[in-house]
Amino acid sequence: MNNEYGGIVARGIARSFGSVAAIRHIDFAAPPGEVTALIGPNGSGKTTLLLILASLLAPDSGTLTVGGVDPMQDAAAVRRRVGWMPDTLGVWESLTATEILTVMGSLYGMPVGQRRSRAAELLAAVRLEEFADQPARVLSRGQQQRLSLARALIHDPAVLLLDEPASGLDPGSRVELRATLRSLADQGKTVVVSSHVLSELDEIADRAVFINRGESVKNQTLDEAGTQIRRYYIQAEPMQPLADALTSHGVEFEVRGDSRRAEYQVLVSSADEAAWLLRTLVMADVAITAFAPAGGALEETYMSLDTDRQ
Amino acid sequence: MSVSIAEQPGSTGASPDLALTYWGGVKAVFGLEMRQRLRARAWYIMLLVWFVVIGLVFLLASVTTAATFGSGAILFDLVVGFVLFFGLLVAPGLSANAVNGDRAAGTLAILQITLLTPGQILWGKWLASWVASLAFLLVSTPFIFWALALGGVNPAEAFVSLLMLSVELGIVSAIGIGISSLANRPLFSIVTTYMVVALLGIGTLITFGLSYALIEEENAEVTYSYLDYPADTDFSVTPPPEDQLECVTQTQIQTVHHTERTAWLLAANPFVIVADAVPYGRGFDVGQMSEPANADVYRQPGIMESISEGVRYLQAGPDYDISCDEVQGYGRDLPEDRFPIWPLGLVLQSVLAGGLLWLGQRKLVTPARRLAQGTRIA
Repeated sequence: MNNEYGGIVARGIARSFGSVAAIRHIDFAAPPGEVTALIGPNGSGKTTLLLILASLLAPDSGTLTVGGVDPMQDAAAVRRRVGWMPDTLGVWESLTATEILTVMGSLYGMPVGQRRSRAAELLAAVRLEEFADQPARVLSRGQQQRLSLARALIHDPAVLLLDEPASGLDPGSRVELRATLRSLADQGKTVVVSSHVLSELDEIADRAVFINRGESVKNQTLDEAGTQIRRYYIQAEPMQPLADALTSHGVEFEVRGDSRRAEYQVLVSSADEAAWLLRTLVMADVAITAFAPAGGALEETYMSLDTDRQ
Repeated sequence: MSVSIAEQPGSTGASPDLALTYWGGVKAVFGLEMRQRLRARAWYIMLLVWFVVIGLVFLLASVTTAATFGSGAILFDLVVGFVLFFGLLVAPGLSANAVNGDRAAGTLAILQITLLTPGQILWGKWLASWVASLAFLLVSTPFIFWALALGGVNPAEAFVSLLMLSVELGIVSAIGIGISSLANRPLFSIVTTYMVVALLGIGTLITFGLSYALIEEENAEVTYSYLDYPADTDFSVTPPPEDQLECVTQTQIQTVHHTERTAWLLAANPFVIVADAVPYGRGFDVGQMSEPANADVYRQPGIMESISEGVRYLQAGPDYDISCDEVQGYGRDLPEDRFPIWPLGLVLQSVLAGGLLWLGQRKLVTPARRLAQGTRIA
């Protein structure tokens, strides 16, 4: 089963462990040249799905192609095309950063010269050159995370599966990770990222698949996410004129209690409406000090879904 | 991060061309394992402890046997026995966490996501743990050569002993690797491997002992001979000359044990395999011993040689005709055409180790359909 379309297409995937159904029914698509976010609460089946996509786990039912190949038919072909960055780091601690990458290259059958040059290139790309000859155990968690990304890229895979790649990274590294993933997608690769940090995904993901309790509950592009009804929060100094202005224009608002400062939250159905509201409030001489979306577009979707966040 | 992260900009991956040869993969896993083992301090400490312990045993034994004729051979036998004993203790520890230890550290899935097959992973890990245990044999060689230098051991005996020790370490390593692939937790697999080794080393003896009652033959007619002076010997001359002794034969009804039926149980014992495979310089001894009991020439068999002799007696079954020579202490003439027992033992052990590896290999097949309860693949 081979088709020209790269990327990932999964339909009706289910997988249970004993009596526990980790994945009940997931439809998932990740086109080449785009970053696809996999979003869901803890225990919703994200890691299980990525393991299935990485050809490590067999689905109980459903159809699946990764890079155009069914992993159940030809796992080796999938593995040549897939780079996988696990959520557990799994680092050979006594090996140096360079050795980890060259060993990994050898396990993909890369010739010696190629894997050496590729390792050096990737270490430079993830800014670990100074640790090239240090054993991996001296690396911090964030550095190991970057090494793990380099490891997933060693054989220049067409499909990249990243399980929580941003966890443990400092802000600078997150920005770099974002740039890296974007550039990989721009080169035509299929990039799948699972993460909890929704504001990060907002900026890099082209589309998102939301899963909850082992089911894919929503599949949307970021453009779609941007056009949905969103919550905005508004602060003013003092707050009373703001309340009066909102009431006089018939805009419903609620006082939000989960922030340090008092703020009002309103529902806005489009960017135009947000612009209109801001202009109106400013014209009404309300001293606006903050006017912003309550969360990213993806967070908005996430919060609007019936998820178990307890 | 730079954009040079793909090999050629715009490429969707040079990866589909990648190919890994079978032995290339085994070699890569072996190299990875060896690198990690060589950098672990614990291994060197174990080697040092091993050296000290074998050294102490050797020194004590050499002092004890110094006065005995042929002490070189006895000492050599002793060292071989001890190296085997300690090897059986060390090899499970070096092998039985190789697969599930990786699983616990999250590095097994890293291997499985590459082009490696389960067979390549197990081959590489097995060879590495075998080589790691051979290092212990290497550390023991000073003592082995010391014992050899004392003389009395022919080179073939020494060579075969070392070869069989290596083979036994390899088999125990394979058992450990197989079990570590099957069991979920390293502690469990190490203990289980020790139990299996104990089963081979002690369990075979216990089973053989317990089956003793089953192979009993009551009322067997046994011809029993002994030397005695004729009734008319003049005992006033002391001592009466030995050439007056006559061989007297009588028949007794007694219980015998058909150990030839159960001796194969002992074949799987590592000590029996090593001891029985070694070609002892028996031919040499027979020449010397054709003279009547001469204490100076008599060569005391070492531990391993005694084991081998004992097993061959058991293999031969009950002795229905005890001759005067045997009573004299020359030992029983064993039928020369007996098939030695050690090949059977090697086959039994190899089937056990191979079976465990085969089951372990099935457990590593990905995409995995079944996982043990409470485990994650990564």
